[in-house]
Parts: sequence; structure tokens; C-alpha cells
Amino acid sequence: MKLLTLVAGLVALLAGQAPALAQAYPEKPIEMIVAFAPGGGTDVAARSIARYMEKYLGGNARIGVINKPGAGGEIGWTAVAQAKPDGYTIGFINAPAINALVIEGKAKFKMSDFQPVANLVYDPGVLVVPKNSPYTALKDIVEAAKKGAGAVVIGTSGVSGSSEHIALLNFQRLADAKFTPAFFGGTAPVRQAVLGGHVPAATMNLSEALQIAREGQIRVIGVMSADRSAYLPDAPTFREGGYDVVAGATRGIAAPKGIPADIIAKLEKAVDQALKDPEYLDAAKRAEIPLQYLGASEYKAFLDGATRDLEATWKATPWK
Amino acid sequence: MIDALLHAVPLVFAPMNILAMIIGVIAGLVVGCLPGLTVVTGLAVLIPLTFGLDPLFALGMMAGMYNGGSYGGAIPAILMRVPGTPASVATVLDGYKMTQKGQAAYALQVALLSGVIGSVLSSIALIVLSPPLVSFSLLFGPIEYFWLGILGLATVSSLLGDDLPKGLIACGIGLLIGAVGQDISNGTERFTFGQLELLDGFSAIVLLTGLFAVPPVLQMVEEAVKTGMSGDKLKLHAQGSVLRQWRYFMPVWLRSSVIGIIIGILPGAGGSMSSFLAYNEAKRVAREPETFGHGNPEGVAASECGNGADNAASLIPALALGIPGSGVAAVILGGLLVHGLRPGPQLFREHPDIVYGFMLQFLVTSLMLAVLGGLAATRIFGQVLRLPRIVLAPVILLFVTIGVYSVNNAVFDLWVLLGVGVIGYVLERLDYPSAPIVLGLLLGPMIESQLRLALTISGGRTAALVSTPIAITLALLSAAILLTPAWRKLRMSA
Repeated sequence: MKLLTLVAGLVALLAGQAPALAQAYPEKPIEMIVAFAPGGGTDVAARSIARYMEKYLGGNARIGVINKPGAGGEIGWTAVAQAKPDGYTIGFINAPAINALVIEGKAKFKMSDFQPVANLVYDPGVLVVPKNSPYTALKDIVEAAKKGAGAVVIGTSGVSGSSEHIALLNFQRLADAKFTPAFFGGTAPVRQAVLGGHVPAATMNLSEALQIAREGQIRVIGVMSADRSAYLPDAPTFREGGYDVVAGATRGIAAPKGIPADIIAKLEKAVDQALKDPEYLDAAKRAEIPLQYLGASEYKAFLDGATRDLEATWKATPWK
Repeated sequence: MIDALLHAVPLVFAPMNILAMIIGVIAGLVVGCLPGLTVVTGLAVLIPLTFGLDPLFALGMMAGMYNGGSYGGAIPAILMRVPGTPASVATVLDGYKMTQKGQAAYALQVALLSGVIGSVLSSIALIVLSPPLVSFSLLFGPIEYFWLGILGLATVSSLLGDDLPKGLIACGIGLLIGAVGQDISNGTERFTFGQLELLDGFSAIVLLTGLFAVPPVLQMVEEAVKTGMSGDKLKLHAQGSVLRQWRYFMPVWLRSSVIGIIIGILPGAGGSMSSFLAYNEAKRVAREPETFGHGNPEGVAASECGNGADNAASLIPALALGIPGSGVAAVILGGLLVHGLRPGPQLFREHPDIVYGFMLQFLVTSLMLAVLGGLAATRIFGQVLRLPRIVLAPVILLFVTIGVYSVNNAVFDLWVLLGVGVIGYVLERLDYPSAPIVLGLLLGPMIESQLRLALTISGGRTAALVSTPIAITLALLSAAILLTPAWRKLRMSA
């Protein structure tokens, strides 16, 4: 039997075709590309899930996290899209930032170049104001903006064209008001500016606002999710405020397209099992990571939806 | 607080946790002294390994690595003129000159002790002053950061070297390089030539390494001396005790520590700025400022002390507000989260033993550094200089290449390293100073983005730039620094 497999393997090799035996996968270390610098949110998420995926991929599975930061993620994502689809290169992609890049038309990849594997995290956007702000609800800030055109400055942690900026444009369109965005280019500086009262309002992701909001140092006046967050049940959603803005940052795993279906199934199962591992769940809960698992097909549907929404926004208000 | 501190003491001094701190300090020394490899990279690799460990074991390693790494950068800066980290660039100015004069051991000792004193004072500030200092850091908005950047740029005056026009040109080159990349307010690409890798601008760490690590190597090759530095010139054995000269160094240490702590608690300023500002201040008040840059031990003391004082202080806003004061603090925050420790005021209530334990670990690792750093510098790294330069040069280049590649895992950075290295070498042969290039590069983008933010927020009113007391103070300080040389000249001629 062993001899037979060996002979079969040799024949396949001689025929110039390495045997794509999914049973044997993974036979060598898997590279997991992270398009951001070490220590960031995506990096920490990748490094922690990688350990548990190794456990459930079985055998001597090894996953090496490789950081390829730069150009807002574009460098790393290009590397994933262009990698050999053999299951040994996978990576984290971040919607809707990645969809926006494709729609702007500068990216060297299309969304169809990726084979979604699983989504892990959904972190909704929030609009926050300093604790002593006169604005207590979304309509207050909208009214102020209508009074003096562009008089309300909203700090954003992203750059021009980031998912937060796009969410802000959507809010503007729905509210028929005009805000002035101030681009801080990172979460730490915008959080400091809103805490110190240097900007009247700011957008960031829920997980980044959670602690200081709970302590009452800032107020969350709108969460951009369909339902209220379990982590901050007192904060109203944008929908409740009368503006249907749903936006947030996601983190999920994708592979280059053309990867064999049985390998996707293996990876998908490993992520699913890892996310159910009590030890991992416990750590994620303590760190208050907003987990949201989507399997390969659901994740693909989600990504397609994000692209459609953004295309509509791009037509109405191009962000660049 | 005192209660929590007392509770934390036995945890910090548990044998396993002492071991963790020692490992951290040694690992920090290693990543610090290899140019290109930074503490940030070291910590990012460390964090997932600590996943299942006791929090204080993990945090002890992190504290040790932070403190060890900040001194580690000074070792090659002094011995080989190759700064191991961006923060040790200012140490090169006088440190390497001292080595050339045969005072290598003394310079290392000054650097070590100054760094330790800075770290210790900074740790004490972290433990005692966290709450009031946090509210101070919140006073800084875009307007204040803009002026802080201007203040930093004003210190260029002390780094210009002997030839004023060349120094100014060097600073202009730095500002120009800093302008490369995407404009974050409107997405316009500047000088990127369609290169994806340039969208975020040049990576400061890659540039600094190219600028500072490659030219000395090329020079070594050029000289192609087949012998090492003679043993007697190296003088790594004791050359008088810095401790005994504490009276002489004390004013520099105190001033530099205060500067380092203040810069540390301001998110976004960071280590290299602390060391430059401290160096400049030491030079400004010195009786013989012209000896700076020619091997004045006070220069080394100021730079390293400012750098050390930056460390623990940068964790004040990180622990209390969740706003990291430096790249390293950002990674440490990630490490805290992995252990379920969410930064913020509640951290002090919910996990006082761990928070105060972590702070104590900063203090303890600073003191450990005094012993481990001294041994490492003289016993191990110092001996490297005895190698023939023809052997040493390629070895340094190898480490630099690995270090730079590990920053972004990008081959593009290696080409930048090579290009900038050669340009740096040419500039050096033409007697252009490198330090002003660094300041221009680091501060240009900060000044620009903060100015634009300030004007966006104020609705375009320029008067807003001098609307707060801190802004006015910083503006006046910058003016004072710029006018000091002129005033001194005036007084001398009078």
C-alpha cells in the first residue's frame, strides 16, 4: 500500500504534476500575510487565530504570520491576490477598505481575485463627541451643520477615502447636511483630540471607543450597526437616530482565487473550530474583540454586498 | 496606591518573573544594537509567545525589552558610529568622537548610566504622577503639536556643524524626503512616481539606517585597514567612574529627564525627538557649546538620558487612556489586550496589582540594565571592534540588511537602503552633516499634517495658532532657541 502511494506519487511527479492531495495538506508551513504593521489590530488578530488554526488543521501544521504593511493595505493585499493558489499563502483582508480601493480603480487586483475563506471580526463605526459636548443626539449635530455650512468639524482616524470617511459621506447624503472632515491618519491621535476637546466630534471603530465611552470620558451618539452592540448597550444606533448608516471594519481570511475547494473547506473548518475553542473565546471576550464568524459562502456574499454599496456611493459622491 | 504597590512587590520579585525581566533586558539589548531591528519588531514577535503565560511574566519581558533596547542602540552608535535605533542618532554626534579619542569605555559608561537614570526617573514619574500627567497630555491638540514640531526643527541650529549653508541644505533635503507620499487630507500622491511602496512615504527607519549605517561601512572598506582597533586604544577597562562624577552630570541628567518625560507622555512625539531636544538643551546651556560634536561626554549623557526618560513615560497615556505615546507603547497595548487587560482608568481599579507590578518592572529592569548593559557592552560588543575592519564591514552590512528587510518584508526597502547609503556616503565626503536630514525627515510631515488639521478645525483662521497658552510658550521657546547664537555673538563682541 505504502509502495503503491509512493509509486503513484512518483508517477505524478514525473508527469510534471505535483499531487494535490488535500488529505496531506498542509505539508509545509502556511504563510499568512497581514497587510499592516506588527502590533496593530489586524496583526494581533492574525497572530492569535493562527495558533488555534494550527491546532485544528492537525498534524504538524505551521502558520507563519508575515507583515507586508504599506499603502493602506494595498501592498499586502496585492501579494495575497498574486500568490500561487496552492493553499500555502493566505492572508487577512479588511472590508470595506479593500473594496474601496478596487472601486477607485487603482488597485492591481479585483475582488474576484480573492477566494474568501472566513470572516472573523466585525467592528462597527461610531460617532463620538467629548463628554461636555452640546450635542447629545445625531439630530443636534445635523442641525448645527445645517446652520453654518461646513461649520461642524468631524475628526476621522482614517485618511481620505477610508471606510470611515465613506461612512461620513453617506451620513451627509442621508442627512442633507455638510460636515468638514479632519483627517488624523490614525486612531491614537484622533482619540486624543476628542478626549482633549480639540475637535467637536470624531469617528472611529466601536472597539476603539469602548473603554473611554464606558468611563464617561466621551459620548457615543451613534453606532453604525443594524442593532445595538452587546458591549455598549446604552449607545443608540444610527438607524434609531433616523439615518440608515451601517458601516464598520471587518477582518477576514482570504486566499488567492483558484485554490482547490477541499483546501478551502479545510481552512474554513479550522477557523470555525478555532473560533469555538473555549480558550480562544475566553481571550477574545476578555479583550472585547467583536467576533463575527462568516463561512466562505456567506463571507463572499457579504463582500459582494459591500462592493455594490460602495459603487453606489462612488457614483453619488466620489471620495477622491 | 501604596497598598497596591506593596501587593505588587512579591509578584514582581517571584523567581520566574525575575527571569522574565532578565530575558527581556538581554533580548532588548540584542535587538537594540542591531541597526534596523527595533524594539517594536522584537515585541511583536514576543507577544503571541506570551499568550498562555502569566501576565506579569509577559509584561516583565516587555518592560525589560523596552529598557534594554533603548540602551542597546547606543552601543554601536558609540563604538561604530552606527546608531542601533533612531533614538540613538544624537548619541553618535559625541559618542563616536569619544571612541576615536580612545574613550570608548567612558562613553559607554556615560551612556549606560545616563540611560539608567533617565529610565528610573521616568518609571518613578509613571508610578507617582500618572493621573496629573495624563490631563497635561490632553491639552495637546493639533495646534500644540504643530509648535512642538517647530520647536524640534529649531533645534537644528545646534546640529548644523561648522558650515551653516551645508547644514541648512541638509535640513532641506530631509524636509523634501519627508514630503514624499500620499497627502492624507485629499489623497493626492506626491513624488511617488506610481510606486506603491512610496505611498506612505519613505520608511523613517529604513532611511535612517541607510543614512547612518552604510556610510561608516563604506568608509571601513575604503580604508581597508587589515588590523582592528589596537587594544590599548579601545580601553574597555575602567576609565574613572561616571558615578563619582555625579556632580558634573547631575544638571544634564535632570534637564534631560524632564524633557524626555514630557515628550514621552505626548503621544506622537517619540524617542528620537526626546534625545535631540535633550541634546540641544544641553548644548544651549553649556559654557562651551563648541565642544559638542567633538566628543563632549555631556552630549552623550543628554541624548541617552532623554531617550531613557522617554520609555516609561510613553506608557502613561497608554495605560491610563489607551493612547499609545510611541510605536513601542502601541505594541505593548496590544500585548496587554491579549492578556485581557484593557487600558483605561478602570485598569487601575480592576487590576491594581498588575498595573503597579508592571510599573515596578520598569523600575527594576532599568536597574538590571545597569548591570547587564555594562557587561554586554564591554565584554561582548566591545570585543567586536578588535576584528579587522575588512571582516567587520561585511558583517555589519549583513545585519543591517536583515534588519531593514524585517521592517516591512519588502525588497524595495533594500534598494532604498543601498541608494540612501551611497548618497549618505557622498554627502559625508562633501562634509554635509546627517543629523539635520533626520530632523527634517521626522518633523516635516508632523508639522505639515498638524498645521493643516489645526487650520481645518479653526475654519482657516491663522490667529488660532497662537490661541492657547501652551502654543504661545512653545512658539516663544522656539524663538529663544533660534536667537541664542545671535545673542551670544552680540554679547561676545560687546
